Amino acid sequence: MTHDRVWKFGLAGLFVAFLFWGGRPLYEHRHFDIPVVKGPGVTEVRRLSVYSPGLKGTMADTNVFVLQGRERGGKALLLGDTHANEPEGLLACLLVIENAVVEKGTLYVIPFFNNSASRNTRPGDGYPLYFEIPTDWGSARFRMGNRDASPLDQWPDPDVYIHYPEKQMLSFIDVRNVNRTWPGRPDGPLMERVTYGAMEIMRREHVDVAVDMHGAETMFPVTNCIVAPEKSVKIATLAALTVKAVQGFDNHVEPSPSGFRGLSHREIGDYSDTLPFLLEAPIPFLDQPTGPKTPRFLLDGKDPFLLSLAGKKKLFVPYDASGWSMEKRVGQHCSVTLEILKQFGKKNPDRPVVIRNMPRYAEITASGLGRYFADPSGAEEAKVVHN
Amino acid sequence: MTLIMIAYYLIAAFLAALLAWNFVRERKSRDDLILYLLVLVPLVMRLLRVK
Repeated sequence: MTHDRVWKFGLAGLFVAFLFWGGRPLYEHRHFDIPVVKGPGVTEVRRLSVYSPGLKGTMADTNVFVLQGRERGGKALLLGDTHANEPEGLLACLLVIENAVVEKGTLYVIPFFNNSASRNTRPGDGYPLYFEIPTDWGSARFRMGNRDASPLDQWPDPDVYIHYPEKQMLSFIDVRNVNRTWPGRPDGPLMERVTYGAMEIMRREHVDVAVDMHGAETMFPVTNCIVAPEKSVKIATLAALTVKAVQGFDNHVEPSPSGFRGLSHREIGDYSDTLPFLLEAPIPFLDQPTGPKTPRFLLDGKDPFLLSLAGKKKLFVPYDASGWSMEKRVGQHCSVTLEILKQFGKKNPDRPVVIRNMPRYAEITASGLGRYFADPSGAEEAKVVHN
Repeated sequence: MTLIMIAYYLIAAFLAALLAWNFVRERKSRDDLILYLLVLVPLVMRLLRVK
């Protein structure tokens, strides 16, 4: 064998090894399923493609957990992982699925709303592929996703995303961002089919309240708040005041801008009778001037650079050495969601949504998240849904 | 899968084949050999539907 051939074979071998070494974790992450144990309140699990047939057979299709109450009442839709790099919404939805019992009304919960994004990552920003919540029975492992759907599932991106139906010009990347593709259409790009499916749930099932749970940077002004359009703002304000008075944490109200299209808190209100609310909890992990993006930082929210910036009053939330933990963020989402439903029930006594067995901010921050997750290996097979 | 997506995969496969052919044919420059392989990485990753 000539010297050149040895070189070529050596290089080709290195290339294959490099591809395998780099590609295997990404492939495994994309195909890693999270087991969710159906709690006592779950009465049915449907696919979103039932409402948006264009999703059938794609990575964007996802589970819709239905928790139907013993008595008739109002209906609410809860969304997590709209942005799959903001996992507090996902975890809050999973707490509902695994623990809540609905006494009156019906809940529709979609924990992995952008399922494709939850199987995507951002290696250039050093995102971890997974994070784990410690529990009494071991660790519950979750995929850490990305903000946008995977280009493997929706491609190519346009030069400019022209929103449907308002025709507003948005950034090209937002065609894969399900919080820009509302209200969607049945035959549009994949992410428009996702939001169309959720709109169809709201229209066909006559959903009263929709809560879309997010996280936002501490350096971003729209954080630690409830974003609400005109029709939802009274309930949002009452919920914000009540959690402040009763549970002791701030969560102010931000008005939904009418000129910025494609967002859930705008389009759901404009294109259905449902009252939309978007919750933002501060997630230091998403801020730019931080240390390494480790799973630990994702969970405890502690960062020395942000602490220094807080001293210079550059953040939009109070921040000290205790950070902003996942427990606080998920606890806020649970408490605010329950309060919104309570306030809706007070204003609409004929359509209450009454839930019990759900932890609130104080319990979650005191006892941690792990105690609210069931062990999938100890559950009946029929009770476990893979997502 | 949409037609445009299929076209994209065909283009990626064509470019990957061109690069592989150039890699096989290259006899002088070791730098070029390494460059061909580096450029191949995203194309092969996409064809294998990894990233």
